[in-house]
Amino acid sequence: MTEDVIIKLENVSTVYEGERRPAIKGINLTVNRNELVYVVGPNASGKTTLLETINGLLPPFNGKVSVFGLDVQSHGREVRREIGYVPQDFMVKPGEPYTAFDVVLMGCYGQIGFLNRPSEEDKKRAEQAMKLLGIQELASRPMGKLSGGQQQKVMLARAMAKKPRILLLDEPFSNLDPDSRGQIPLLITELHEKQDLTTLIVTHDIHHMLEHCNRVIVVTGGRITFDGTPEKALPLVENHPHTTPLEGHHH
Amino acid sequence: MIWLEYVIMQRALIACILAGFLMGLIGVFVVRMRLSAIGYSMSHGAFAGAALGVATAMDPLVTGLAFASGTAFLIGPIADKARLHVDTITSIVFPLNMALAFVFLTLTPEIGLTSQVANVLWGSIISVTNNDLVYLATLFASAVAIVYFTWKELFAIMFNRKLAEADGIRTKPFVYMIILLSGVVITFSLKLVGGLLIYALIFNPASTTLQFFEDMRTVVIVSPLIGAATTVSGLLVSLVFDLPVGSCIVIVSTIVFAVALLLSPKRRRKEENGNEK
Ligand SMILES: Nc1ncnc2c1ncn2[C@@H]1O[C@H](COP(=O)(O)OP(=O)(O)O)[C@@H](O)[C@H]1O
Ligand SMILES: [Mg+2]
Repeated sequence: MTEDVIIKLENVSTVYEGERRPAIKGINLTVNRNELVYVVGPNASGKTTLLETINGLLPPFNGKVSVFGLDVQSHGREVRREIGYVPQDFMVKPGEPYTAFDVVLMGCYGQIGFLNRPSEEDKKRAEQAMKLLGIQELASRPMGKLSGGQQQKVMLARAMAKKPRILLLDEPFSNLDPDSRGQIPLLITELHEKQDLTTLIVTHDIHHMLEHCNRVIVVTGGRITFDGTPEKALPLVENHPHTTPLEGHHH
Repeated sequence: MIWLEYVIMQRALIACILAGFLMGLIGVFVVRMRLSAIGYSMSHGAFAGAALGVATAMDPLVTGLAFASGTAFLIGPIADKARLHVDTITSIVFPLNMALAFVFLTLTPEIGLTSQVANVLWGSIISVTNNDLVYLATLFASAVAIVYFTWKELFAIMFNRKLAEADGIRTKPFVYMIILLSGVVITFSLKLVGGLLIYALIFNPASTTLQFFEDMRTVVIVSPLIGAATTVSGLLVSLVFDLPVGSCIVIVSTIVFAVALLLSPKRRRKEENGNEK
């Protein structure tokens, strides 16, 4: 039973360097194996901070974060090698010398280990991940020349290619066109089942929340103010002025 | 008559090729890892150190290296944590190192521009010794080996340091390795180009190459070649017109960079799109 707890936060607060007030505070959260959790909440409420506290990228915090039963303070790198992370608003500028395939394969570099080179198998996995997201023909294109939506798919493929045990996705659909926005969340939900993943997805899109998961966390002002089913979360989210499905109107 | 100094010329040529190649190589990592401010500060640290060496009759290589490392270890962690803006740090460290350098140079027993002082300021080919060549060649072999064996990590860090960390790569040792390596390369090339100008040779070949190529593997091969080509051309220009070698190398390097900017497919495209950063 404790083996089924993948992510556990106990009374966690994270303070950014140079700041006085914690960006998230008093967080208690347990995510079990193969759970798919959507994280919603207004801008600047601490969603990104929560994800980066879980994978240990933001080190100084109070409380305890354990992933796979390991303390991320001391085992951060081990843990991160098993996590597919898609950061928010990640965009490569035109002219940067990396192909889409480079970017996808790079996701595995932490796992491959010092002095080792990517194997044929690593490359095959990268190719398969790109195929899965329908971007195999972009492999040799320079990353900076791709559209925002294409880059977002590359970042998702990158997270998948490393065969992660956990996915942490920070607004991963924000730049997708309407077609992809219907398909990709579904794809992730399927994959999540098939590959026995444990997944946290930050989104502003209420439709995704309703259709694709059975647990929603609402973060407000650095605290978890709701944790339950999407149906129960809906009234809370709808009433909040900041969480109208902004993304839906964008494109 | 200078053409008769065959051995000196041969040494100068080899030194130019090695130093140009090294600076072109290390420059790619310095530029792409956004370590320009540190590289810039370190090169003036090396300059101040070498000046101290001349003043105290110690080996300028040793004192230069000590000052370059000192600068790196002082400002590296500050820049790393972004506690102070990098520009602010550079604006403080650059004049400080310059002031120190000039104080040291004035302390030199026979005040005035003795040849050694001049070497430190704007470089000289006559001062290149066989030992310098051995150092440069060793450095060359080490740098190539380091880049070859840590390419995976360097590549990921150049793309995005935070993402590399998110994938479980320990980035700090690699970043500090590049800082250290550039300090050593700067110190050992100082004699040739001089402390006032050397940073241009770290920055220019890499920036020139990055204007043209969309594959990092090509960039990392072409930039050292451009570096070596500019140092050798600068050497030839200095011989023909009897001008200081460091200045000539930097002028050639700047012209190459300027022409690259004009011809650059990337820049042209940016301007067409009107989204210049
Ligand atoms: N690097 C940083 N330094 C200081 N404060 C930050 C930093 N990043 C985010 N914050 C602050 O932390 C709070 C939470 O931010 P964030 O986690 O990005 O929110 P969200 O992802 O929900 O929009 C905000 O008040 C934001 O201003
Ligand atoms: Mg965010």
